[in-house]
Amino acid sequence: MILTDREIVIALGRGLIIIDPRPKETYFASTSVDLTLDPIVTKFKAATPGLEIVIDPSHIDFSSETTLAELTETVTISSDGILIPPKTLFLAWTKEYVELITETRVAARVEGKSSLARLGLGVHVTAPTIHAGFKGRIRLEIVNHGTLPIRLRAGMRICQLIFEVTLGTPERGYGGQFQGQSAPPAPRKKQP
Amino acid sequence: MRIKIQEVGKGLHPSEVVVQVNAAEKPERLIVDRRSIEDDAIDVGYPIAKSNGYWLIELPRETIDGAWRIWITRDIIVGDILEGAA
Repeated sequence: MILTDREIVIALGRGLIIIDPRPKETYFASTSVDLTLDPIVTKFKAATPGLEIVIDPSHIDFSSETTLAELTETVTISSDGILIPPKTLFLAWTKEYVELITETRVAARVEGKSSLARLGLGVHVTAPTIHAGFKGRIRLEIVNHGTLPIRLRAGMRICQLIFEVTLGTPERGYGGQFQGQSAPPAPRKKQP
Repeated sequence: MRIKIQEVGKGLHPSEVVVQVNAAEKPERLIVDRRSIEDDAIDVGYPIAKSNGYWLIELPRETIDGAWRIWITRDIIVGDILEGAA
């Protein structure tokens, strides 16, 4: 079940969901609440002509954070905004800190806004799920799928959160776990 | 339940920290929000399962290697173990 605006407000009031700073009343819709763009974004550095770089996520020494740190640079959006060229990926964050309490049955999905989607702007790349227990700003993978650059400004409404109540309580939020459950085998080797 | 972590780097955003959890099989790294770290530990809710002195937990975020659930040993659990009806 998807939470309605009334239920989201109740959940915020009870501390089951934390959004800091709390969204304005006008940022709510019937089944969602809008979040805004943080001034800090990360953009990929321009490729060196003739230099071929390949990312191998399955490599034993691969670290996505190290890779991203090497391939990207952090930019603070100025008052003029920032241009997202066509076919370009930026990493960005919501200004709001979001917390879904582990013991609740609330999960969420971050989705784009249709007003921006119509321009070709996507805000995530197939990873919209926010699990119960999440704490932090939501990282956005912003891609301009359109044909013209799109100017984004800090503080603009960039995405929406849709909250859902799960059918049951997840194991990690449930104090009576292990009942009737056969535990998986232990790890084969122990860390020295 | 809380587990020990070590900060091993900065995230891409100032609010983010890369932390390492010494899981039973191998160290796992994940990005967490700085606000979620208290006394070098993070909250992981209740354990999912227990077997042969190991506890299966679910991390608050996916690790850099793509895992959500890891086996841990008692030594990285802070304070009491929430075991429910175990």
